[in-house]
Amino acid sequence: IALQRFMLQPGAPATKVLCLTEVVTPDELRDDEDYEDIVEDMRTECGKFGTLTNVVIPRPNPNGEPTPGLGKVFLEYVDVESATKARQGLNGRKFGGNQVVAVFYSENKFSEGDYDG
Amino acid sequence: SGTGGRKRKSRWADDEPKPVIQLPDFMKDFTGGIEFDPEIQALNSRLLEISRKLQSGMLLDDGPEGARSPSPEPIYDNMGVRINTREYRAREKLNRERQEIISQIIKKNPAFKPPADYRPPKLHK
Repeated sequence: IALQRFMLQPGAPATKVLCLTEVVTPDELRDDEDYEDIVEDMRTECGKFGTLTNVVIPRPNPNGEPTPGLGKVFLEYVDVESATKARQGLNGRKFGGNQVVAVFYSENKFSEGDYDG
Repeated sequence: SGTGGRKRKSRWADDEPKPVIQLPDFMKDFTGGIEFDPEIQALNSRLLEISRKLQSGMLLDDGPEGARSPSPEPIYDNMGVRINTREYRAREKLNRERQEIISQIIKKNPAFKPPADYRPPKLHK
């Protein structure tokens, strides 16, 4: 019941956007082929929970400037339900040996391209 | 690159059983496991989505011009202001679905505490 009340509250944290942390290292993202592989792995596996509308994986800046959201993977789903399923399914799973942490991410921030939250 | 039949193992580990957090027995009694029922979860998330839509105050609309079904006859209040605007009808539609979902959740989980503005459907005999 506590959970249900929590879910009914306005501003409850469930969103359509899922953020995976502790997933990828900057080194893996620097190599084009590795990067493509990672994107493909994400699309394939994360698409099993629902329709993905967007996948964003920030890459390191070639000039060495810090990239917002580096090391994170952002998955936007078509609805909150899919994102919720994905969060349950992905949280704690291993990707390339790293244990994935999946959290909801602000839809507004995501749509504004703000990956630093 | 990335295609062309190149066989490659996904970086995702096989769906290994997640470390299941064993709930103490008294907790099991408390939740009854019902909150993890996928049907109820689906209803809950739809309910959440509707609540968010209604609360966001964003313009509710049925879709683009032309793709909509014909509007009903306008109804005006005694000030001559139209009552059943498209926005109003969209909001009513969501409200009805919301009430319906809450009824379904209650049917499955009598312990569910409905929101304060929920009105149970009238029982017809």
